[in-house]
Amino acid sequence: MSDLNPLGTPGITLVAGPPGIGKTTWISQFLSDSNHPLFYLCPGAGTETSTEAIDRLRVGYCFPQVTVIDDSQAADLLMNLPNQAQVYIEVGFHLDLAALPFNELPCRKVAIVPPELAQLTAQSEWHSWANELVAGNNIQAPNNIPEFRRMALTGQVFDPPSLEVLLTEITGGAYGPVIRLKGIFELPDGQAFYIDFVEGLEGIEYTELKLVRSLKGRPTRLSGLEVVGHSLQQTAMAETLQASCLSDELLTQYQRQYRQHYKAAQSTDDKTTNQTEESVA
Amino acid sequence: MKLAVISCIHGNIEALDAVLADIDTQKAEEIYCLGDLVGYGPYPNEVVEKIRSRGIPSCQGCWDEDIVDGLNACECSYPSQLAEYRGHLAHEWTDKEIHPEVREYLATLPITLKKDNLCFVHGSPNSQHEYLLPSMDGFAALERVLATDADVLFCGHTHVPYERKLENAALSVKVNAVESSETEQQFQVPLKRIINAGSVGEPRHGRPNATYIIYDTDAAQVTLREVEYDYEKTCQAIIDKGLPPIFAWRLAKGMEFAELADDPTHVCER
Repeated sequence: MSDLNPLGTPGITLVAGPPGIGKTTWISQFLSDSNHPLFYLCPGAGTETSTEAIDRLRVGYCFPQVTVIDDSQAADLLMNLPNQAQVYIEVGFHLDLAALPFNELPCRKVAIVPPELAQLTAQSEWHSWANELVAGNNIQAPNNIPEFRRMALTGQVFDPPSLEVLLTEITGGAYGPVIRLKGIFELPDGQAFYIDFVEGLEGIEYTELKLVRSLKGRPTRLSGLEVVGHSLQQTAMAETLQASCLSDELLTQYQRQYRQHYKAAQSTDDKTTNQTEESVA
Repeated sequence: MKLAVISCIHGNIEALDAVLADIDTQKAEEIYCLGDLVGYGPYPNEVVEKIRSRGIPSCQGCWDEDIVDGLNACECSYPSQLAEYRGHLAHEWTDKEIHPEVREYLATLPITLKKDNLCFVHGSPNSQHEYLLPSMDGFAALERVLATDADVLFCGHTHVPYERKLENAALSVKVNAVESSETEQQFQVPLKRIINAGSVGEPRHGRPNATYIIYDTDAAQVTLREVEYDYEKTCQAIIDKGLPPIFAWRLAKGMEFAELADDPTHVCER
């Protein structure tokens, strides 16, 4: 981080790469820095709150100290950057690198690419665009531009075994070949999970987001699903998603049980703490 | 004497034809069917007609019962909300498709069949819906076999074939009757076996191939047969006949359509 802006001036870092290569993961290593105002932008990701980009949500949930901005705020921010600010701009695979409006800015351009491509001196669109290549996940970059589907899931809470089935089916190609899936899903115990799949890497990754448990009615925080692939059958996928979501009645039952469970657990913890304090005294 | 035991055909006529052809090559003298002739698959009437025309004795499966009596299983039938949703779609489709005489035939099927020291059931002797999983508690498993008064209990329902030997079972009973001293009795249970025939039409072993069992009554020998067939024809028929296309994808992957037992201690309460 320190070598980015040795003079302490604002820094802009553009990060590009194929889907699933690890762009957000690479950026995340810099987002815990508390010495600089931090900004994150994912251009072309849409500004409708109902279909928020998963990367933007993930960064916002995992790094609350980072200001996540949308396209409409970008120009103003870049013209009036706070002193020592660091801006990370994640460039989606669907954007034309040569036509990026940010290309003219004084910035660091990082391309995250498959390891074998990072070692090559041969030209690719990444080589000609970036001034720095970083080896990312060991995957095959797609030869042609894949389809991209985004589905809003805000307010939906999933039956856990159904979620497992639907993720197995989607990533297994039941609704068209999939090369990338990422989503944020709410579960009946009030927790939200970030779920990540990259074709060529092993398994489906589940990461618990450290958020306040949502146990009173339908969650209002944003959640959703993004799938990248070919010939995707969105209607069939949406039907499966819908059939995996809990009804109001079931959600109410689950939430009542979990509230009682956590209340009892809290009570036990309190007693244990008191007993410990008494024995210490 | 060689017996063939088939189960869980689920309206998959292509798989049934392939298995019957394979049974012919094995020179089995008798065939027993453990039920679930219908449900999920695209040819329920044709499968029942084939079983009847070949004179194959069959138990009643849980799906056969549901088509006769309607859906009233407890929650054990479905491992997830999604599975339940799909199961109901399949039931609705099958219920409309099935011919009246086929429904009448399914209603006549017995819960158990017996031949000498062999007993044939769909799920367990207690219920067509109860799963005898290989991980079931040994005492409970033994109780299920003893209840039939047989030495070998053939079952299906789980869609995963297995053979389980229950041997060296010693039961000790202490009786402390009023006005008498405590008495203890020991029982040595002879070898009992549970043999699961897997599934002809809806396998769950990661491949689309049908499975069934050949049992040699003289040698008490079990042979698991796995039979390739043109599953793509069944997949196409699933789509053409208006069943959920995801059933075709799951069949091709050797994944069961919806039901999956995951609790070996659960006893169905329907």
